Amino acid sequence: MTAAIETERPPWRRRWLNGNARRRAVTAIRLFAFAALAIWSIATPGFVSPLSLSALMTAISFIGCVAVGMTFITLTGNIMSLSLGVTLSAAALVFLSSLALGIVGACIVAVLFGVAVSGVQGIVIGYFRANPILVSIAALALITGISELVTGGQRVYPTAANFAFFKSRIAGIPVTTLIFLGAVALGELILSGTRFGRAMRMVGSNWRAAEAAGLNAATVVTGAYLLAGAFSAVSGILLAARYGSGDMELGAGYDYSAIAAVLVGGTAIQGGEGSVLRTLIGVSVIAAVEVVLLLRGFPEELQYLVTGIIVLLVIMLHTIGGRE
Amino acid sequence: MQLLNGGAEAIPPAAAPREAILEVEGITKRFGANVVLKGASLAFRAGEIHAICGENGAGKSTLVKLLTGVYRPDAGGVRIDGIWRDIRHPLEAQALGVALVSQELSLAPALSIEDNIWLGNREVPLFHRRRHLREAARRTLDQLGMERVALATPVSRLSIGQRQLVEIARMLTRHARVLILDEPTATLSDSEIERIFAALRRLRAEGKSILYITHRLGEVFELCDRVSVLRNGEVIATRRTAEIDRAALMAMMLGRRLSDMYPQWETREGDILLRVRGLRVHGAVEDFALDAARGKVVCLAGQVGSGAVETLRALAGLVPGASGKVSVAGRPLKLRSVQRAQARGVQFISEDRAGEAIFLRLRVGENLIATRLAQLSRFGLLRGGAMRRAARTLAETVGVDPARLRSRAGELSGGNQQKVAFGRVVEAGEARVLLMNEPTRGVDVGARADIYRLIRRFCEAGHAVVIASSDLEEVLGMADEIVTLYRGRRIGFYRRGEADQQRLLADITHPAAA
Repeated sequence: MTAAIETERPPWRRRWLNGNARRRAVTAIRLFAFAALAIWSIATPGFVSPLSLSALMTAISFIGCVAVGMTFITLTGNIMSLSLGVTLSAAALVFLSSLALGIVGACIVAVLFGVAVSGVQGIVIGYFRANPILVSIAALALITGISELVTGGQRVYPTAANFAFFKSRIAGIPVTTLIFLGAVALGELILSGTRFGRAMRMVGSNWRAAEAAGLNAATVVTGAYLLAGAFSAVSGILLAARYGSGDMELGAGYDYSAIAAVLVGGTAIQGGEGSVLRTLIGVSVIAAVEVVLLLRGFPEELQYLVTGIIVLLVIMLHTIGGRE
Repeated sequence: MQLLNGGAEAIPPAAAPREAILEVEGITKRFGANVVLKGASLAFRAGEIHAICGENGAGKSTLVKLLTGVYRPDAGGVRIDGIWRDIRHPLEAQALGVALVSQELSLAPALSIEDNIWLGNREVPLFHRRRHLREAARRTLDQLGMERVALATPVSRLSIGQRQLVEIARMLTRHARVLILDEPTATLSDSEIERIFAALRRLRAEGKSILYITHRLGEVFELCDRVSVLRNGEVIATRRTAEIDRAALMAMMLGRRLSDMYPQWETREGDILLRVRGLRVHGAVEDFALDAARGKVVCLAGQVGSGAVETLRALAGLVPGASGKVSVAGRPLKLRSVQRAQARGVQFISEDRAGEAIFLRLRVGENLIATRLAQLSRFGLLRGGAMRRAARTLAETVGVDPARLRSRAGELSGGNQQKVAFGRVVEAGEARVLLMNEPTRGVDVGARADIYRLIRRFCEAGHAVVIASSDLEEVLGMADEIVTLYRGRRIGFYRRGEADQQRLLADITHPAAA
């Protein structure tokens, strides 16, 4: 450490930007980045075509449902879960193997499965105050292990399948997309329009203050995980229906894309602040980047690299914008 | 009241004029709209203990943080040995010889005294002779009157006072010339306080400059040579302690008579709303009894560690291990659940505003209605219009500018945050008993009077209020009944007008009964 600067006069504060200006600058950078991405996308040959736009929407829908679920986890102050991807895969397998109950029945079973798997983690994290990331890593191993045991590592094919509904369009919009938009609307309603949503924000903002205000913070956290499990399961159902079969690789990488979407959307990693609509923007950015890279002929590995860089920049922007 | 208008430097030059080591000139610090220090100027000399006094929120801790490089000033600066210095980091302050003896002690409990003294010292070469270090550490400890403590003792076995001395020793080995002590005696027993004082007097004799920040006026006169008073971020005066008395110092700190601060009221008798018997909190409160009547303010007076704060936390349902017989309006209340307490109409405002009372990242409006979402929703769905109306009404009730409802709570001043916390508990259905810990900690002087008025008004609406406070003036100014506590036990009980500051102070520091 060098000694303090010796100055001629009283040293006046020389700070590049103060709090508010800093926050505005960060917003400006954000808008600029969105604009740049939009221009880059449109300038990519083939981006504005029915085929690629529908690919974009599909990508958005799959990541999106998981990301909406992740939003609840991040918002309640539990940073992120690394087990939503395998929850998605396992729910897809459950869905495929219970199709004997009919599509609706299978959907219900799969969602309940997701809720149960994630809810258990919520209980451990909420009531025992276990570290959420470690719990999710343990869950990742457990879910993967049990699923591999049950399936024997084999791909699961549906017994009697008719996924026509999932591949149909209503008013020209793919059902998958409609289901995703429904999930966003539902998520946003829960978060902004219900007591439970407000409770999640309060717990995420300040656990102890929430308890002192008479909330049962552990229950609220458990609820957030239940929701995350349900939304991941929905994504699993959509993927299973699209591919007509499934294995545990189905959801690989989805946790990462989902947390990237949540962060890019601007939900605060320390909890308490954020919304499902912001996550929707984040998902769109992540998916657009993926599609553009694909269209421009970059290898798939580069997608991870670019997403990684984007997330890193966003996190840095967060810390700059939020610092006093 | 000539004292109130005195300039910052009203001291005739001493017989042997001493150079100021550390000078603060025109230092200003803002946080958002909140100006915490307004052009404060002070000079600290070698070989003197200089007390800094002021109420909560006067700017004392901000001054310390500016001197130690935690904050940087918005205007003004610091001169050390007559040279302007821009202190950008606590390590730079240390390199300049300015050291803070922190309250949250920064020692590693598992390591020995010797290791703690040298830990992180940049002058220790990678390959060093332990003997040199040991001798230097020994010398420093002896200098502080710790001759009888072995260097190899792990810090975890030392008392808090001894740990403070080790902390001071650590600063001395780093060539500290200006030592800053921020309320060092708050958590110490009498014998330990004496030990610290003895060490500080020795350091003074060796020519160190000591900044001594304290609430305890007795210590100012017992230990310090000069005293500077801060009020609302301004330096009101610097005086030699030999020249003034307690009353004058108090008047300088408050800037007005006490009677202007506290509301006027008539004590009225009411039925008992809250009855507590045999309350126990492990390690904090023993067999505590309390009655709080409708329309009265009961103050639990005690220092840190007296159990006053823990008592109210337990009654609010926030302490897992608490036990005791409690009833509210005749109906029994089981402890250990905030929900049960709230259902009985017991509301609590924590002393730890940022940690437990306010959601700093949520908006002011969201904070105000945080406890009454049940009334503002139907089938779990929030009613937007009703929420906005409720937030507006509450803001007006407690005197928070409704234009700020959409600001983040973290941007408000301490006083306004406390009003928001208050707004959250008042008129919440049938709030009957309000429990408040340190209601004006970190609250600026103007807002304090507002908070006191709010408490009084709440009381007059037929509710009972219990306040835990270590601020004796507040206790005397607000209470209908006073209960003093010491080390988790009830010491004394006084009705309004029966007690004075000396009496309470004796009770909460070294009661005859304990």
